Amino acid sequence: MTVQAQPSSKMPRFDPVVIAGLVPFLAVLAAWALAPTLSDIPAYKLPPPEKVWSAFTDMTLDGSLPSEIWASLRRLAAGYVLGNLTAIPLGLAIALNRAVAETMTPVLSFFQSIAGIAWVPLAIIWFGVGQGSVLFVIANTIFFSSIYSTVIGVQLIPRVLYRAALCHGASRLDVVTSVVISGALVQILVGLRTSMAYGWRALVAAEMIAGTNGIGYMTLEAVQWYQTEIVILGMILIGILWLALDFLIFRPIEHVTVRRWGLLA
Amino acid sequence: MTDATPSRTHATPRLAPSRAQVRGAIGIAVVFIAWQISVWIIALPAYFYPAPADVAAAFVDLTLKGILPSYIIDSARRYALGVATGLTLGVMSGLLIGLSRFWSRLLGPVINFFYAIVEVAWIPLLVIWIGYGFNTILIAISYVVFFPVLYNTLTGVQTAQKTLINAVRTLGASRLQVLTSVILPSALPNIITGFRVGAGFAFRGLIFAEMIAAGSGLGFLIFDGATTRQTDRVVVGMIMTGVLWLAMDRLFLRPLEMATIERWGLVRAKGGGV
Repeated sequence: MTVQAQPSSKMPRFDPVVIAGLVPFLAVLAAWALAPTLSDIPAYKLPPPEKVWSAFTDMTLDGSLPSEIWASLRRLAAGYVLGNLTAIPLGLAIALNRAVAETMTPVLSFFQSIAGIAWVPLAIIWFGVGQGSVLFVIANTIFFSSIYSTVIGVQLIPRVLYRAALCHGASRLDVVTSVVISGALVQILVGLRTSMAYGWRALVAAEMIAGTNGIGYMTLEAVQWYQTEIVILGMILIGILWLALDFLIFRPIEHVTVRRWGLLA
Repeated sequence: MTDATPSRTHATPRLAPSRAQVRGAIGIAVVFIAWQISVWIIALPAYFYPAPADVAAAFVDLTLKGILPSYIIDSARRYALGVATGLTLGVMSGLLIGLSRFWSRLLGPVINFFYAIVEVAWIPLLVIWIGYGFNTILIAISYVVFFPVLYNTLTGVQTAQKTLINAVRTLGASRLQVLTSVILPSALPNIITGFRVGAGFAFRGLIFAEMIAAGSGLGFLIFDGATTRQTDRVVVGMIMTGVLWLAMDRLFLRPLEMATIERWGLVRAKGGGV
């Protein structure tokens, strides 16, 4: 079964499926290009594709687009590393003690529920418009999303495993490394991905409201000048960047964990 | 010694959750106390760092004036309508596309791409197209629910057991009966998963959309409070978004998920064994 399934799942990569998948994109592009001639949509509402393309090339050549993208990605990386580096160890520490975990869980789930975006106005009051606010909002969103999944991950470990490890003469440290961390790892990795999804939205949203640069700022700022081609360019880039992040970073992690721990249904 | 207490609480199942609840309540109380103490220590103007008492006063004030209830109703209405629209369209298109191998292969990548353009990114364009207000928010929320539901419905339909479909067909089921008795039930856990993901993103999307494109609602309350330096109102709005989301998650989404997984997850597991 599996031997047969493997070649057939590898084959379509370069086969008609990929080409077929491009057809709808071309259809969307064609409909977009033809829309002004078929209807009365004014150009400021729907600029033709070539105008978006020339906005893309212009902004790439003058270096403004790469610098906006770089600003966003750097900020996301900083918030992501900061949020997770504090959330995962803290989450493990909290979860080690049952009493502490039970005390903290409602608080954490409450803070996780306050949408990251809802912090933006308060962040502006505290840090002013700009880098500080945006970073605070992303790190905050990622921190609470990640710490919550870490704590839940530890709580989901069957208690039998602790007893089994202790029966075999494991020390406290052994229990932490071989039961707690490896038992919660899958949930932590899921949390890493979920927190990125929330963090990405928070980044774009925070840049729109509190930013002074970055891809989100660029997209909303263009609305005020009716530069719709830049708005559409921003949207497309937001989509492509997310796909790239997901494809390059998270799909591989997911594959490794699924294979290692056999989570695939 | 230490083992005796847990085992006793396990024997009486009603005691165990109440202890966790008591501890949870203590945790929340500690946060409030820490907040108040930090206010005394930091001692900054209330607009910069309001105390719990300021926020409570703002909450009472907003409630008595009727602003908070009407904002909550506005937010809830936008959210409910948007989520319902996105869910209905997502399930319908998911079934339509998923039933055909041809269409699901053809449209898969383009769906993935539009799924990746987060709703937050659509709001500027929607503002240009439709302007500020109800419709922009409604479309943004429908959008953010539509794609996860569509994506998961597609997966659910495609993973429906071929043997079950064949079995029902040999018993003389019509196409509609195959849909209602095999495909829909087996896709249901996936649909619910997609719905939960979408509902979570949609709630955050709602708050953001209300900040940019609305004149009422919780997102507007938070944003407007900040621009008028009524930080106590900002915090009231933030707490209310947390409370509302938790209430919806615990009272509606989780029970729904548990119910479908229990009801249909088992059915599917049995089908897999055949």
